[in-house]
Amino acid sequence: MLKYSLKRLASSLITLCIIITVVFVLLRQMPIEGYFDNFEKADAATIQAKLNQLGLNDPIHVQLVNFFKDLLHGDLGLSARYSAGAPISGIIAKKAPISIKLGVMSMALSLLMGIPLGTAMARGKGRIWDKIGTVYIVFINAVPAAVYYIFIQMYGSDWLRIPMLFDEKNLATWILPVFSMSLGSTASYAMWLRRYMVDEMNKDYVRLARAKGVSDKKIMMKHVFRNAFVPMIQYIPTSLLYTISGSIYIESLYSIPGMGGLLVDVIGRQDNPMVQAIVMIYSCIGIVGLLLGDLLMGVIDPRISFVKKEGAR
Amino acid sequence: MLSIKDTKSQKLEKALAQKLQSDMEQPAVNEDELFVLAEYDNTAAEKSGYSNYSYWQSTLRVFFKNKVAVFLLFVLLGLLLFTVLQPYLPGQYPANLINNHPQTGKQISNLSPSLSTVYIKAPAGTQFNATEVKGYDGWYAVDNVLTSLKARTKFDVVEYGEEWCKIEYKGQTGYVKNNFQTKLKLPDDPWQVPYESRSNFKIDVFTAPVEYANSGNALYAEASAFTINEDGTVTAKAETELRILPSENAFWFGTNNIGQDLWARVWSGTRTSLFIGFTVAICEALIGIFVGVLWGYVRKLDRLLTEVYNVIDNIPNTIILILISYIMKPSLQTLIFAMCLTGWLGMARFIRNQIVIIRDRDYNLASRCLGTSTWRIILKNLLPYLVSVITLRMALSIPGAIGSEVFITYIGLGLPVDTPSLGNLINEGRKLITSAALRYQLIFPAIVLSIVTISFYIIGNAFADAADPKNHV
Repeated sequence: MLKYSLKRLASSLITLCIIITVVFVLLRQMPIEGYFDNFEKADAATIQAKLNQLGLNDPIHVQLVNFFKDLLHGDLGLSARYSAGAPISGIIAKKAPISIKLGVMSMALSLLMGIPLGTAMARGKGRIWDKIGTVYIVFINAVPAAVYYIFIQMYGSDWLRIPMLFDEKNLATWILPVFSMSLGSTASYAMWLRRYMVDEMNKDYVRLARAKGVSDKKIMMKHVFRNAFVPMIQYIPTSLLYTISGSIYIESLYSIPGMGGLLVDVIGRQDNPMVQAIVMIYSCIGIVGLLLGDLLMGVIDPRISFVKKEGAR
Repeated sequence: MLSIKDTKSQKLEKALAQKLQSDMEQPAVNEDELFVLAEYDNTAAEKSGYSNYSYWQSTLRVFFKNKVAVFLLFVLLGLLLFTVLQPYLPGQYPANLINNHPQTGKQISNLSPSLSTVYIKAPAGTQFNATEVKGYDGWYAVDNVLTSLKARTKFDVVEYGEEWCKIEYKGQTGYVKNNFQTKLKLPDDPWQVPYESRSNFKIDVFTAPVEYANSGNALYAEASAFTINEDGTVTAKAETELRILPSENAFWFGTNNIGQDLWARVWSGTRTSLFIGFTVAICEALIGIFVGVLWGYVRKLDRLLTEVYNVIDNIPNTIILILISYIMKPSLQTLIFAMCLTGWLGMARFIRNQIVIIRDRDYNLASRCLGTSTWRIILKNLLPYLVSVITLRMALSIPGAIGSEVFITYIGLGLPVDTPSLGNLINEGRKLITSAALRYQLIFPAIVLSIVTISFYIIGNAFADAADPKNHV
């Protein structure tokens, strides 16, 4: 188990380094306008001076090494356009808490909605709940998130008579963003839970329990649900990935002052260092999510490490 | 002396010879009847273990049992055909044409959806002032304004009404509106006519108590519907349709804020989005199959490719998509490139797993022993088994690609507005959601998008179910 965890951790770290390097190198190919507050007005000498000061005239490997050194000190560089000259880590530190709050809330909500839905679908297989749930899952998987997010914002705010835009102090305005963000994960929880539960229900121990006369409800809760939930655990950290793309949409739709909205903002302003930093943070979140999922599975289900050895993954 | 036994046998011999003789003399049997093909008999077939099972037939049979999927398949085929044909149909506006009003020259912006350009119908015999419309031969701009009165011009009211007043001015009779806009100066008892009146505003006098105009703008009608009078006015020969534009082609989905036809833009956008979807699906399939086959078949590459896969798979797709679109110029090629860069991964892994399963089956070993080249084994022995799953993945990656396009456009890295796509139409519509009257600009593209993506998704899944031999029983 320990060996597997270390190996998994190492591969995540390597991936992270590769991603940072690739992102860094790719973003050096961008036009240099993205490093200046007012590029049009600056003359050649100032531009050169600024480039030297930022170290952009150094060979790329020197820049990369410097960047990694700074990164280890928690320094992501300075913003160029968004709020010129301010340290990026400071800007993000201000923006991150609200994104984290939203993410955690929507994750909790999607568990709250997804698990009962999945259970109901598995119990009444082929009946009304199953059908409703299937329609919902198909809809969420097929239709691009942007479309239903916009419609939820449009009609939800009309219907609930709440403002369209987010206001941290007004709790009612938290409802729609959190709800929209949880829809994708809810669908995936419900879908997988239903599948695992239906698989479990066909197993012999369930038949035995039924033959012994254990009530249906008890079989479901005590046996089937518990066993089916184990493989579900790996999806919980993975749903961080859903939350990433979700938060980019949602935060800019409701103008929530978080990281996703910030990304859209800095892309619009072509602030290269900021884009670089946020992209790196997001890929970091994604990698950590997958890593946690795999490690959790390893802890819960010891068979995983053997599977890994055989190279079936 | 013959024994009894011999006599007996002689008798029998003779009888046999006779019988044979008589049999031979019978007419010859028809040759065709001697060998007749047996009809297919299910019960007999089962006895011998024969099966008329055909994979593709069964797949199609199972697929056509799924009513919803079949319905959506027809919807989708119709939609595909229509998007291809739409620009060649009569009476379509070009998607990027900015429609200007023929007289004021202003853009016809945010016109509500309507199936016809007819604004009002005028009965036969109605008189109009008519002017020819520049650039639109055979059309008149018509109105029924007799004359315009300057503010504070005095006139006589000869008949009073709640909405229209009949007036006399310099020997001419006409009608003026009686509402808050004209604010006619009226005596205490306005029904007691005639009396002198005036308005503090510039008012129009109409020939009849009805306004043939579109909030101040002229209406249009085909010139052939009128007879021309001596004084330059025209009279309608029969009931005439007055239109808001000198054209019978209505804006079925309305217009956007710069006067472009939303109907044309939605279909043009659907074409773009479907093009992206199909191109990405095909590229993904090609790259995915190529890498997947190498990965699965060439044992030496397995370790290396697995490691590479693990690294790339760890990066969120969204991030790659954003990064590539940010670095390259926004264009169709960029979008397709960025999507292909991540999409082939799933396909490759899938193909690899399948190939690992079937590569060492006996018939492949036999093939290899007989000296078949590797490529031939791959093309003839392995890939035909994967056709159904490859089609499935392609069917599912089309809605995925369309969705990614919407996402990239949404964060501001998508196609320029002069290349309509469902993504930028939805993004344009999104900016207008605060005003309820303009929401149609979001709803129409969203509906088309949903139909396309849901159809592909359901058809793909139904096909996957149908292609699974477990469901063929």
